[in-house]
Amino acid sequence: MAGEDFSKIFQNKSIEEKNRIRDGRLNQPGPSKGKDAMGDISEEDVEKEIVTRFDPYPDMDDSEDDDPLCDSYVRNDPGFGGRYDRNRTNTGQWLDKKEQALKKAAKIKIIKWEDSSPLTADQLAEAFSKCEVKKPEKTKSLLTQQLQNCPNLPHRQYLEYAKFDGTAQLGLPIKSFKIFMTMLPEKHQNYPLVVCVIASAKIKDLIGFTCYKYSIEHPDISLGSVHDYGLCIAEDDGEVDWAFPCLDANEPCSKFGFTCLGLIELKNKTTLCPAPMPIPEDGMSGAFHVFPKAENSSHSNQNPSRLNTGDSSTSEAVISALKALNEGEPDLNKIQSHIMATEAPQYKAYKVQLLRKVRTNTSVQLGISLDRIEVEPLVTNKHAFWSRSKYFLHSIDSVAWCQILETRGNRTTFRIVYSPSHNATYNDRISTGQNTYIFHPNTAYKIQDFETDHEVAKEIVEKVNTILDLRNSPCRREYKTAKDKKLQTRRSFHTKHLS
Amino acid sequence: MRTCSCIYESEINKENKFYTLSQNTAMADDGSGAGSQVALVTGGYDHTIKLWQAHSGVCLRTMQHPDSQVNGLEISPTGQMVAACGYQHIRLYDLASANPDPVVNFEGITKNVSRVGFQKDDLWMYTGGEDWTARIWDPRALPQFSCTKIFQVQAPVNAVMLHPDQTQIMVGDQSGIIHMWDLRTDQNEQLIPEAEASIQDIAIDPEGKMMAAVNNKGNCYVWSLGGSAPHPVPLKHIVAHSKYALRCKFSLDSTMLVTTSGDCSAKVWRTSDWSLLRELRNETQRWVWDAAFSIDSRYLFTGSSDSYARLWDVEKGTLEREYCGHQKAITALAFRDQTV
Repeated sequence: MAGEDFSKIFQNKSIEEKNRIRDGRLNQPGPSKGKDAMGDISEEDVEKEIVTRFDPYPDMDDSEDDDPLCDSYVRNDPGFGGRYDRNRTNTGQWLDKKEQALKKAAKIKIIKWEDSSPLTADQLAEAFSKCEVKKPEKTKSLLTQQLQNCPNLPHRQYLEYAKFDGTAQLGLPIKSFKIFMTMLPEKHQNYPLVVCVIASAKIKDLIGFTCYKYSIEHPDISLGSVHDYGLCIAEDDGEVDWAFPCLDANEPCSKFGFTCLGLIELKNKTTLCPAPMPIPEDGMSGAFHVFPKAENSSHSNQNPSRLNTGDSSTSEAVISALKALNEGEPDLNKIQSHIMATEAPQYKAYKVQLLRKVRTNTSVQLGISLDRIEVEPLVTNKHAFWSRSKYFLHSIDSVAWCQILETRGNRTTFRIVYSPSHNATYNDRISTGQNTYIFHPNTAYKIQDFETDHEVAKEIVEKVNTILDLRNSPCRREYKTAKDKKLQTRRSFHTKHLS
Repeated sequence: MRTCSCIYESEINKENKFYTLSQNTAMADDGSGAGSQVALVTGGYDHTIKLWQAHSGVCLRTMQHPDSQVNGLEISPTGQMVAACGYQHIRLYDLASANPDPVVNFEGITKNVSRVGFQKDDLWMYTGGEDWTARIWDPRALPQFSCTKIFQVQAPVNAVMLHPDQTQIMVGDQSGIIHMWDLRTDQNEQLIPEAEASIQDIAIDPEGKMMAAVNNKGNCYVWSLGGSAPHPVPLKHIVAHSKYALRCKFSLDSTMLVTTSGDCSAKVWRTSDWSLLRELRNETQRWVWDAAFSIDSRYLFTGSSDSYARLWDVEKGTLEREYCGHQKAITALAFRDQTV
């Protein structure tokens, strides 16, 4: 190496020069000092003092000098004062690197080309003996067997991202991340996935490589398309910071300083962070004079904090009050329907289970008021946001139907049928999800099923139906007409066939 | 002879005891990599060598090949080592360990080394390169006895191929000459299939009955060997590719010959009538640099400029696996299969 040679040349030169100067000084008879003074100066001191033009600058101690001895001197010298720390760290690092390189080199066996002396006939025969060429037998290949045993490769769809692997790249800057797979069910959430990619990889490549790596380690869990996912900033414990938008998929990951990221489903991102939305104030106050708007009602039970009222405490209180008044002949049914009618427009929240086809049921708060039905996921575990369902907000004018489906034990399931197309103001908030289309081909109706106690279910259905009947929205009318028509055609079909 | 190879192995093992131990724990269960059985190794322009789990397509390890691209790869007969050759370097890597660095470095070459190969009992290693030589290396490097040898030609060497009888090396050079170098006598015989066409690769079938060579015009020439005549007898000339041919290899059962080329394809030829059996193309693959058959001749690996290695079912002509991980073109691959 040229650098090495030069440094050695300079070192030798400086030693020569020092010797020359020292000899000159030692032999020089001091004009006033004489021999005594000279005796105080040891040879070492002389050497220390003499700085030749071939000596390196002190600042250049951490330069590309290849002599490790030089640096051990620097490392152990406490005389560097203020610059000591910086020098030690830089030089220390450099030394570590050097040491590692030396260790590495020591492990590599070097075989240099050497022309050998002519071999004897025996040696020649031994080294270059003729082998009998046999026809290779037909054999079964282990590769073939392995290929047959492993036909499914879930990671194949992410294969193109494999090249962003940062481990064992030579000379390329790399970056490591802890990725929390927050879009997976909780049981697969125990540990973050540590991924290392080349620094020039974009965020979308990082997402792809994360999917690639995860599907290799967990071939049994199927992941979706790379385009469905985004990366968000997360805490060390995996809690995603929903206040920030996803990292820009087209930016290189070297641009970001965060090391903990959460992989989320993009559609969850939009529904999980509902922006404050305007609720249409007009259109209902004029139409429904009888029932004051829940918000303005003097005896409104609206609960701004939306406390969960699992039981119907209000109505019970009223019932007992009425009971006390009409102790003689308590016509409870009558009273109840009356209460229902008066109470129906008031906001009330119920804790129910949202039934889902694919994933587990989730607890939601069903908030019902005169103008809307809200389905708000309840967070039982603050880490468990993947199991949160989406936030739904149906304008009451988009709700077409509500009925009890079945009762099993003390659990009752009920269904809300709604039409997103009648929900213009809220449309963009509602995503398709697991809902199925029923009935009219032009007007798409969707359903949401819930489960709760029988009593609560009954109350909710009655409440919703009361409101629906009160509002009698076009959506409900259309739905009813369509339903009746369908019933009729079915009947007429039957009667025709029977006759 | 066996003892010699044993000495070599034990020496290597002694030196790398640490690696061997760590490997045993790390790779005992996946049935690939090392002591293993099935190993696919690729290398190329990104200065890395990758070891793959062939059946799943997962990269198991990346080894460093600093300062040079990889021109050729060959797995040693024991399956323990892989040899890589590049610009000024010939290196041996321990497949059985997790060591990303080479364990043996062969020094003293000033130019590109184009091919590397092993004697079947691991006694010696042979190379050919752009310094106009073919060489026999003795990895044992014993002071008392070294069987190094050098063979000088008049042009850069592109291809070297050891005859299965282990006594003859075919050396193909850029001037278009194939030198048949007899290792015992150092005599050589020359074949010139086509004037002014550089020999790119030479293959000899495992039975030692056929030799094939491809050149930079895309032509493939086949000779029959070891017949009653003492010299190779021209058998067939195939216009295999429209462009530069890069490699040729026979399948283990000698029924197929694969040629790869700069025309973005690999072609599999029947050796029975030299008809085209399969043309393996992929829209994105660009130059196909290297290929290797599975032991049952059913599958074929190819490595290409789009940085992917691919596994093809030769019978069906279907693409079975892709190996993605290299940053740049794959220019060499080696595959070691295992019988069951």
